[in-house]
Amino acid sequence: MVRGPVVFCFCALSAVAVALALGLEGHIFDTGTPAGLVFHHENSPTLRKHLIETMGGGVALLDYNNDGLLDIFFVNSGHLSADAKESFDRANPRYWNRLFRQNPDGSFTDVTAAAGLSSAGDANYGMGVAAADYDNDGFTDLYVTSYGRNILYHNNGNGTFTDVTAKAGVAAGGWSVSAGFFDFDNDGKLDLFVTRYMDWDLMHSKSCGVSPKIYCSPSEFPAASSVLYRNRGDGTFEDVSIASGIAAKRGKALGVAFADYDDDGFADIFVANDGMEQFLFHNNGNGTFTERALEAGVAFTDDGKRISGMGVDFRDYDNDGRPDIVVTDLARQTYAVYHNEGHGAFSYRSLPTGIAALSGISSGWGMRLEDFDNDGWKDLFVAQGHVMDNVEQIDAGLHYLEPPMLAMNRGGRFERTALGSPQPVAGRGAAFGDLNNDGWTDIVMTVLGGKPLVFRNRGGQAHWLTLSLRGTRSNRDGFGARVRVNGQTQYATSAGSYLSASDKRVHFGLGAATTARVEIRWPSGLVQKMDDVQADRFLTIIEPERLR
Amino acid sequence: MSAFCFILLLAWQAASTEVLERLKAGGEALNQSRAAEAAAEFRKATEAAPDLPAGFVGLGQALMQSGDYRGAIAPLKRALELNPDLPGAHQLLGFALLAAGYANEAIPHLEKVQALDALGVAQLKTGKLAEATASLQAALAKRPGDVDLMYYLGRASGLLSRQTFEQLRATDPESARAHQILGETYAVLHNTAGAEQEYREALRLRPATPGLHLELGELYVAESQWDKAEKEFRAEASLQPGDAEAAFRLGNALLQQGKVNEARRELERASGLAPGMADVLYALGKAASLDGDKAAAEKAWRALLEIEKDGPLAGQAHFGLAGVYRERGDAAKGDAEMKEFQRLQRAGR
Repeated sequence: MVRGPVVFCFCALSAVAVALALGLEGHIFDTGTPAGLVFHHENSPTLRKHLIETMGGGVALLDYNNDGLLDIFFVNSGHLSADAKESFDRANPRYWNRLFRQNPDGSFTDVTAAAGLSSAGDANYGMGVAAADYDNDGFTDLYVTSYGRNILYHNNGNGTFTDVTAKAGVAAGGWSVSAGFFDFDNDGKLDLFVTRYMDWDLMHSKSCGVSPKIYCSPSEFPAASSVLYRNRGDGTFEDVSIASGIAAKRGKALGVAFADYDDDGFADIFVANDGMEQFLFHNNGNGTFTERALEAGVAFTDDGKRISGMGVDFRDYDNDGRPDIVVTDLARQTYAVYHNEGHGAFSYRSLPTGIAALSGISSGWGMRLEDFDNDGWKDLFVAQGHVMDNVEQIDAGLHYLEPPMLAMNRGGRFERTALGSPQPVAGRGAAFGDLNNDGWTDIVMTVLGGKPLVFRNRGGQAHWLTLSLRGTRSNRDGFGARVRVNGQTQYATSAGSYLSASDKRVHFGLGAATTARVEIRWPSGLVQKMDDVQADRFLTIIEPERLR
Repeated sequence: MSAFCFILLLAWQAASTEVLERLKAGGEALNQSRAAEAAAEFRKATEAAPDLPAGFVGLGQALMQSGDYRGAIAPLKRALELNPDLPGAHQLLGFALLAAGYANEAIPHLEKVQALDALGVAQLKTGKLAEATASLQAALAKRPGDVDLMYYLGRASGLLSRQTFEQLRATDPESARAHQILGETYAVLHNTAGAEQEYREALRLRPATPGLHLELGELYVAESQWDKAEKEFRAEASLQPGDAEAAFRLGNALLQQGKVNEARRELERASGLAPGMADVLYALGKAASLDGDKAAAEKAWRALLEIEKDGPLAGQAHFGLAGVYRERGDAAKGDAEMKEFQRLQRAGR
């Protein structure tokens, strides 16, 4: 056990937050688009209704230039031609992915070209993004998934990125969707998990429905295996999908999240599958995984029904210290809440938590359990919108465009609250982070074929603590660290949600508490504790080199 | 009907040899589906013996065989003028008239021979919906697997229902029932706001109408508005405390909102009112399980499996039982239930 050093500390603009809270009761967020954030997702819907059209696009919140301000990276999709050519016109600026650097005044500047990110590969129809410092050089890198070839962009540390996919060996191929970095073998180097949706290509797409024509159900296509890359630490990765046991299970994977659900010190993987059983890959601690969803009680609903899993988060919603699982899915199902009972078992809790009643006619994608009002309980935000743009013709009770959902956590039970964004949209990706460093978590949500929405947290009077972890023996981002603050538990990660990567800082709402007791169990196994940490601060915590 | 025998029988005592030969040739041609040849022979027979009904019946039947229903009408009518007591001619004429679009005229002929299937269709086409429903039901009782009859009966009863509702609305457009019907119509059209408004008006006019709260509650269920549904089902259950469906719907609405203890009470009440309902037993087991009473959950699901061995609810019960046994530490029983669940899941694919 270590009483570790608090290296950096600066007070946030809590006075401003308090002032904002006065007279601004009602909505938690202001919705709008900051100056300079000019992006339009291009999915190019066709009359042929190829399934890829309705599945993009992702967003990442990262501080790529280490100036202390979160920047935003959007994944664009591309142009789809009527003749099903596997060429998506990505050289056209309209279809570029985009990186926006945040300026000190809160506005954004498009730095895509200057950062070397304008080339997304003409044969790649963009999907999602993962963000992490895979080479431990102190700069956050980007991994962009696609239908086609995925790209790993190495952050050069000077405001530019280099496509190192070929050298790293992480192109994957096929139809990749969500991805995330994590350290499955605790060797201090971040590994990479890439979900693949199905065995599908444009030439073998199908036509479904006649009047009206609809996007095909995933049941029309064969399943595919996801990919696990082990980081060798020399800038290259080894595909260990087969050796690790991951490839043994073929799924229809859309979302992925990581946490150590059985507290054995090794990060496990939950994969949200569409229209089939979900996967929970238990990390055996020896480089292999065992799929245990059925035994653990997270494969189906409590009725034994399959769900169309899309987004996922793997966090402790009831502050019992164990990571739970929430999966978003299609309307006429309900979002699945799996409560971690300990001993490797989960119970289905969508009904008692109130989530079932809130989600019966909604389709959810990007999402997160996050404490938006800093009361010490993680709330739930979900980007929503149906898969089918003509769903009203199939089921008049459903809607293609939906407003996102915000449900506040009241001691383990969720209640819908007004979001201040009444406009329904086709929500898809969602990333979470503190854009203006005021201690209150903001949200960036992508809109299929539209402009993103930014939800600025208005703040309030409750206290908070945000930790930046810096691993030394562990991976530099500290991903996989179990962080406990005043009875709350989080696993450090930027993964989860759908197609998206969030702020890697670990945020806690403290409610009325003005001090905190912090305990970090690093992936290296080292446990670091700090008492009486002042609230309303950003702390950078460095993993001690050795036990003292 | 054997046309050949029928025609010969008609002519046996009255016709000359030449006419009998014509009738015989026409009958043989008819039996071998040579409709034109048959029509020519029968036409010559009618020319040779214009007062003999048999030639006209044969001609009508030959023309019907060739699809000329309109052309068949005149000779069949002539046959019946010559002899009104020919059941076969009535039947043929009824069919011909119906096929040619003269449903009203066909009815007395079809009634005479009690050709219930065609009669029902003729009554349906002439808007005699109550009579059509009765005729088609009787016909379907004789031919239970006839999909055409099922179709016509469904259509007739549907139109009859609509006609009755329209009559109701015309009689008293501001009655509670009139608003209820409008509510149901809007509900089918997924016009929730319209349906809600009509149901509310119906309830305002006659608050104690059985079933109204249930229908309004179902409207909210379709919209996943479980709190509103609960309120309506509670009102229905209060109005009809002996109605198992109201208790079940209320229990389910409570369950969907996570009010498991209260849900369990209502579902137990529903189970008491209508023992042996698989839906109720499944929901009761689920509520008990969520309420932490695994023994009660096991009991409900076991009772369900006594009633329903296969099917989706049985699969769900096995899945729930697997969880109960595993939680209890009985891995063998848990695995056995899970295998049953998986077997039924595979069978249902």
